[in-house]
Formats: sequence, structure tokens, C-alpha cells
Amino acid sequence: MWKYLLEKEFKQFFRDPGLPKMALAFPVLMMLVFPFAVSMDIRNINLAVVDNCMSEESSRLIEKCTSSGYFRLVSHGHSADEAMKLMDENKADAIITVMPDFDRETVSGNGFPAGIKVNTVNGTKGSLGSQYILQCVRMYLAEKNQASGIQAVQYAEISEKYYFNPGMDYKLFMIPALIVIAITMITAFLPALNIVSEKEAGTIEQINVTPVSKTAFIVCKMIPYWAIAFFILTACLVIAWAVFGYVCRGNILWLYLFTVLDIIVMAGLGLLISNYSGNAQQAMFVIWFFAVIFMLMSGIFTPIASMPDWAECITYLNPMRYYADAMRAVFLKGSTPADLWYDIAGLAALGTIMVGLAISSYKKSE
Amino acid sequence: MKTIEISGISKNYGQVPALRDISLEVNQGEIFGLIGPDGAGKTTLFRIMTTLMLADTGSGTICGMDIVRDYSRIRKIIGYMPGRFSLYQDLSVRENLEYFATLFGSTVGKNYDSIKEIYSQIEPFEKRRAGKLSGGMKQKLALCCALVHKPSVLFLDEPTTGVDAVSRSEFWKMLDRIRKSGVTVFVSTPYMDEASLCDRLAMIREGRIIGTGTPEQIISAYPYRLLSVAGGNMYPLLKILRNTEGVISCFSFGNALHLAYDPEKTGLPAILAKIRENGSEDCRIREITPGIEDCFMQLAGK
Repeated sequence: MWKYLLEKEFKQFFRDPGLPKMALAFPVLMMLVFPFAVSMDIRNINLAVVDNCMSEESSRLIEKCTSSGYFRLVSHGHSADEAMKLMDENKADAIITVMPDFDRETVSGNGFPAGIKVNTVNGTKGSLGSQYILQCVRMYLAEKNQASGIQAVQYAEISEKYYFNPGMDYKLFMIPALIVIAITMITAFLPALNIVSEKEAGTIEQINVTPVSKTAFIVCKMIPYWAIAFFILTACLVIAWAVFGYVCRGNILWLYLFTVLDIIVMAGLGLLISNYSGNAQQAMFVIWFFAVIFMLMSGIFTPIASMPDWAECITYLNPMRYYADAMRAVFLKGSTPADLWYDIAGLAALGTIMVGLAISSYKKSE
Repeated sequence: MKTIEISGISKNYGQVPALRDISLEVNQGEIFGLIGPDGAGKTTLFRIMTTLMLADTGSGTICGMDIVRDYSRIRKIIGYMPGRFSLYQDLSVRENLEYFATLFGSTVGKNYDSIKEIYSQIEPFEKRRAGKLSGGMKQKLALCCALVHKPSVLFLDEPTTGVDAVSRSEFWKMLDRIRKSGVTVFVSTPYMDEASLCDRLAMIREGRIIGTGTPEQIISAYPYRLLSVAGGNMYPLLKILRNTEGVISCFSFGNALHLAYDPEKTGLPAILAKIRENGSEDCRIREITPGIEDCFMQLAGK
């Protein structure tokens, strides 16, 4: 009986015009395209320079900025209005204004008569852009002081060392996170839609009058998606290794362990959604709602620590928070479940609640 | 022992009563029809009898098994065909059939005899996806799927709704053959003309059973005389006749009016005179025997 129920689900899955292709294309796309697209490295910041000094010193400062690779010089002139206009037209992201007595002041070490304006309509680009400029200025000053032997200005060189991701490589950082997103989508939302579509077609009613238990029916519906989730996880790990040369720092088994935990939570959520939705459209709305909240409040794109306290509290209810944290820690840091006990606890607690709610609401609908 | 026995079934959807104190008995091996308009509560009653839903009050048995307590045993011996075509559109004809056979722990081969007659008509399209079948063939497939595990009782919820007249009469012939093989058939329909094809029937309206018996019993219980009035200017005539003394009811019935009158209060000559008086000279008037629909209207009007 179980064998036949499963056989039917797989048959329907492979017969679907889109699903099998999607299951294949998803990991490939995710690993080969998205890591570049979601990269948080900011390059090609358009820089306008208003050079009122036109001295050797000012051109050295500007050269320092442009040679860093982060900036693209779009204008180098005298008019502040013109530069401002460029920013208004969105052609310049940052403006450096160099004052007429720049060379004299900097050589004498009295001050640094230059101004920096940054367009922060795009917050990330703005804050990173100003940091990059400051870094360039710092480098310029350091070189200058060395050259002239002036030690008058107190100066400490700060150098960072990034642990677990030495090159601060965003691709490496995003790969476990993308796996998390893919698996959550596939294990929670596709089965929910599948069950709802059986409701819509009326077939679930026909099944309910047969001696087949509801549990067997639902579990058989979910198993194919679990299989796909593991397939995607494996495919992603293989592509990460083959294409980028990234290997999981920790034991790969732990990745699978956390995936199993996540799947349990998501199965509960999916069933819960399908219990309360009468048609695919309703289900889609609920799914959309959860998908957005899960992703934005998971710490995948923005650090949880920088959220306000109340938002941080909400993230404790987000299974993706624990799953993403655990996957990153195992993949980048080589953590073990003992190190990540809080993620296990979080997923287990949410799993118990979700599955419990799903089962009780499911029985009520009988 | 009756095959189906339910008594005092009531069901409310929130404040809205769907079924009120329904009691029915169905004998073994008969076609029992549940006749009533849309929204009368037919599907609700089906869902309660097929153990898909719990009634608020009342009890029932199917083949002696309680519809609440023994629901899992009942599900093994009933076949249910819901009103809407609800098979897997993306599975083939054969796969659908095998799927439902397996769900009942059986195989198509074992029970092939019981569906052979119907299935042979769609067998040439075995490999076609169910979604690509024509309406009539879908219906035959659904019937096969409901019969493939040799049920003792077959529940058909509005099987002929939306099916053309030829397919409908063909379908009723199939039901007749199924009945002959010993299966009890419980069928609902909004079409009054199908009532005469049932062995016994119950008429349901607004959640109440308003009449039950064989078609003959129901017709012979009709208390009035019935006239068919055709031709002339129908609508004004209808209004006049409704206000005539002794006329119980007057309804438009296709291209004629059906007029029921109480023979103790008035007679054919008086009604004729009334029609003539209003200038409808060219009316064709004849006495008719009531059909199930007339009986339904009379019982519903009570």
C-alpha cells in the first residue's frame, strides 16, 4: 500500500511539466548564479572629485582612491554644483571636495581640508562607500607620513584578520545560506501546495472514504519533497566543491542532521498551512507571508545582532534563524552539534510546536 | 436488516441548519434516490453517511455498522463517487483504477468482473490521462474507480449533473446493471425526471425529508386533480388562475401551466369558464396524471 502511494506521488511529480526541471535547475542556478548576485561586496562606486587645489598632493589622494578598485572616477572638475548635479542625476555616488589650500595644510600637518559627501539612498552602498573612502584617505596619509618622516600625527595601523572566511569571501558566506533557503522552500511550501491542490481537485475526499489512513497519505505526499531536499543539498555541496573549491569545514553528516531537523519543522508548517487553506491562492498568500519573514529575519542577509531588541525576539520564533546559523557554523567553522546545542534546541522546540499544532488542527478538520 | 438506516440526523453549519431530523431506510439491492434542488442538503447527508463528517445529532448504520464508531470498517465496504470529477487528472485511466484498487487492498485483476461491463467501454483509452477524457468517459472511469473494490453500497452524489441527456440515460442503465449484481445504490439528483428510475426515493428540501416511498406511492398520494393549460398569454393567465377559487397551485412547467385544483371545491367546467372569460379562447386544456415534480411542488408548498 505505502509503496503504491509513494509510487503515485513520484509518478505525478515526474509528470509535472515544471517540477522535475525546477528541482534540477534550482541547485545549479543557486550555486552558479546567486552567490555572485547576492554578493555584498560593493564595487564600481561612482566618484566625482571637485579639485580646487589641482596640486600634486591632491592628485595623489585621488589616485589612491581610484587605484583601490572600488571607485570609478566619473568627473574631475572644479565646480561643486556640477558634482552635486551628477549626484542628483544618480551618476555619482560620492563626492570628494578638495580645498584650495590642501597641499599646504597637509604638508604642514595642520589639517585635512577635504570634504566627503556620500549618497545613501542605497544604505549599504553608502555606508560601505564612505568607509572605503576613509580607508583610502588613511592609506594616503600613512604613506605621506612615512615618506616625510613626520611622526607628529599619532597613528596606529589597524589590520583585520577574518576568521573562518579569511578572504571575507561573500560567495563562501552565502552558499550555506542559499542551501537553507532552497530547502525551506521545497520542504515546507511545495507539499502544502500539493495537499491544497488535492483539496481543490476534490481527490482528497475520494481518498478519505478509503481505508487508507490520513497519516499514511500525508506522509507519502511529503516523502518525495524530502528526497528532493536531500538531492539539492548534495548537489549544492558537490557544485560548491567542484566549481568554487569550497569544502565543508565540519562533518558533512551534521549538515544532513540539521537538514532533517529543519525538514520536521517545515513539514509541520506546511501541513498547518494546508489545513487552513481551501485553495491554492489562499495557500500562496500565507506562504508568501512566511517566506518573506523567514528570510529577512533569519540573519542570512542582515546580522540579527544589529536588529532592535523586539525584532531580535521575533527571530527566536524563526526556524530559519537556527538552521541558517547551524549550516554556516558547520560549513565555515567546522562546528559540531555540541557547539550548536542552542540551534538544535530551537529547531526541536519549534518542531514540536509546529507538528503538534498541525496534527491537532488536522484532526479537527475531520 | 436494512442496508442503510439513519434516524434523527441533524447538522448545522454555524447558525445555518443544513439537515433537520433526517430519517431514512434503504433496503438491500435497491436503487434509492435522494431528490431535491441545489442547496437542499443532499451532499451534507452523503458526507455524513460516507463517514466524512459527523452529524450534530442522530445515528445511523450501514450494513449494521455504526457510521461513527465503525467508520473504518464502513470505508472498506462502500464506494463513493463525489459530485465533482475527482480523480487524478495527471494519471492515466489504468493508473487511476489501479490506484483506487490498491487503496482498498485489492487489485484490478481480482475484481475485473465487477467492472468489466463499464470498463470495457473505456478500455481502449487505458493509457490516456484522465484529464484528457470526455465528460461521459470521465464519469464511467469514476464509476469504475468507485466499484473496483466490490463495495456492498455505492454512494453516488449527483452523478448526472452536467451530463447530456443520452449519457444520462446510459448511466441509469449502468446503475440498473450494478443493482442487479446485488449492490445497493444510493444516488442523489436534482433532476425530477430521474426519480421514476429509482426503486424508492426520498424528496429533500431545505434539509427536511418531505416525502418518501416508491415513485408510484408518491404519485398516488397526490391529493388533487391536475390540469395542463397551454397556449394563450401565459403570464396574465397564471396570475388570474392563481386567484381562482378552488385552485391550489399553478406553476409554469416548460411551455404549459400545471394547475392543481381541489375537486371538492371546484371543477373542470368552472376553471374552463374562468379561462374563457379572460379571453384565452385558444388554450389547450387537458387532465394529466401528476409527475414526481408536481408531487415535489405540492409537498414543498405544504
